[in-house]
Amino acid sequence: MKGLRKGLYALLTIYLSLTSLFFIIRLAPGDPVERILGPEARLQDIELLRQRLGLDLSVWEQYLSFCTGIMTGNLGNSLFKSEKISSLILTHLPPTIIIAFFSISLAFFLGSMLGIYSGARKSQIGDGAVRVLSLLALSFPIFSLAPLFVLIFSIWLQWLPVSEWGGFSHGVLPILSLTVPLAAILTRVSRNRFLEEIHAPWVTVLHAKGLREMAILVRVLKACLPTLLNVVAIQLSVVLAGTMITETIFDIPGMGMLLFEGIQNRDYPVVQGVIAYSTIIYMLIYFCVDSLNSWIDPRIQS
Amino acid sequence: MKLMRKKMNREMKWGAAILSIYLFWLIYWLFQKYILQGSLSRPYTPDIDMTKELVAPSFESFWFGTDLFGRSLFEVLSAGLSYSLSLAVLVSASCLMIGIVVGYLTVVGPRFFKVFFDLITNIVFIFPSILIAILVMSVTGQSLKGLIFALIITGWPGYARIARGETQRVLGLSYVESAKAIGVGPFRLFRKCIIPDILPQIMIHFVLGLSGVVISEAALGFLGLGGSEFSWGALLADAKSVLLEAPYVTIFISLCMAGLIIGLNLMGDGLRDYLDPQG
Repeated sequence: MKGLRKGLYALLTIYLSLTSLFFIIRLAPGDPVERILGPEARLQDIELLRQRLGLDLSVWEQYLSFCTGIMTGNLGNSLFKSEKISSLILTHLPPTIIIAFFSISLAFFLGSMLGIYSGARKSQIGDGAVRVLSLLALSFPIFSLAPLFVLIFSIWLQWLPVSEWGGFSHGVLPILSLTVPLAAILTRVSRNRFLEEIHAPWVTVLHAKGLREMAILVRVLKACLPTLLNVVAIQLSVVLAGTMITETIFDIPGMGMLLFEGIQNRDYPVVQGVIAYSTIIYMLIYFCVDSLNSWIDPRIQS
Repeated sequence: MKLMRKKMNREMKWGAAILSIYLFWLIYWLFQKYILQGSLSRPYTPDIDMTKELVAPSFESFWFGTDLFGRSLFEVLSAGLSYSLSLAVLVSASCLMIGIVVGYLTVVGPRFFKVFFDLITNIVFIFPSILIAILVMSVTGQSLKGLIFALIITGWPGYARIARGETQRVLGLSYVESAKAIGVGPFRLFRKCIIPDILPQIMIHFVLGLSGVVISEAALGFLGLGGSEFSWGALLADAKSVLLEAPYVTIFISLCMAGLIIGLNLMGDGLRDYLDPQG
């Protein structure tokens, strides 16, 4: 019963966010048709494109066709490639998922380990080093970090290939450049959570019972887990945007490349489709993490 | 809010030091732009000179070298700094004002207002904000108006959330109840009691939010959706194509941006510890 309510709530949120997406585009200043065709377009071309995009209909008719389009997976064709948007998205999805999955797992592992290490050595040299490192890592956004990585590892040291997509070695730099900022955030969060939890009364009880250090650590870790998962879920949107930026830097044929090409070609339907589906995927993962959290820690009610 | 009641902590000192360097740089550049090399009516912008394309940094000619279009990298970076900082302040200040008012109204306003804004802030909060910004920019094109619209529409819910929680806390305090008891109206209450008391928490978010706006703006610029050709993100995107020949361009831009972000983050973190030593 509770699960059903949660599922309904998730669906409602997804529906509402797609709706707000639709209205934000209409509210934004500027006209997509004029932007696609440029300022010197002929009037009948403008009318033709307006009809093709369905922008000549009333807002409510547009909204209806947008909703049915999302539900049936039929968002029309790209303006330039004569392919369906849904099939374009399907072919571009795998690289993005691979990169996102590996970088999130790596960042989760690294971040929680470093955070607990620095929390356990509070106000010592190791703690200071980790904190400075995480501050530095947060200050290089992905689009400056990735070129620097290319510069260091591919051009100066020549360990890794620059840009292509295929084998394992091509994935290292993109995954690394996505991992670093996320790991830094997780390090900070897990350090703070660890310090909060380690002085809690229940940990003192475990010590008094004479439990081994390692066993206590595992229990503390479990108590911190929901917060960390929550941070990952919230940061997922940053990771999503990050994969898009890394893909354009490393020439990876993923969703980000599709979006970037769509932006460059002013392929308005593709941009809209990619963003709508990324939103759906993101929200689904967000709600999965949410229910995972209340399964780990039943006190959490969302 | 008495800010200087106690000594600044270490993070704040570092943050203030770094930020004052940037502030000094900004003032120097504005002086150059409006008075020395240009005038108030015709501000100076770095001009393109293809004969000086990618001159490496040296102490004789250009300290920071020149970029792909032969512009002095220092001037380009300065123009980027003034653009980025002014945009960040403008956007964050607008978000702050919207956020405080909406946060207050969700607490004291009528019920339908409460439900409606709770829903909206929740949705925009978990919504991947950069995607909204990309979408808006792809409709409006490379316009400053669209950029500001996109950044504000994704930025204000963060402030509204904090303002809402803080307003709830402040409304429970006894002096607010006393003020209500002697008949202080809602507007005066808002101005005299709520705003001063919620401002510290909002300020923390504001300082950290500035670095967030700098990053988002640069990310959009990198994707070719910025509002200015001097956006640091756009400069990085240009520098990417000459990474092999002129790595210094990428390095200098990255360091500049990183310095500003470090300064703002240190200031924000320091401010948080300063205002709440237990946390």
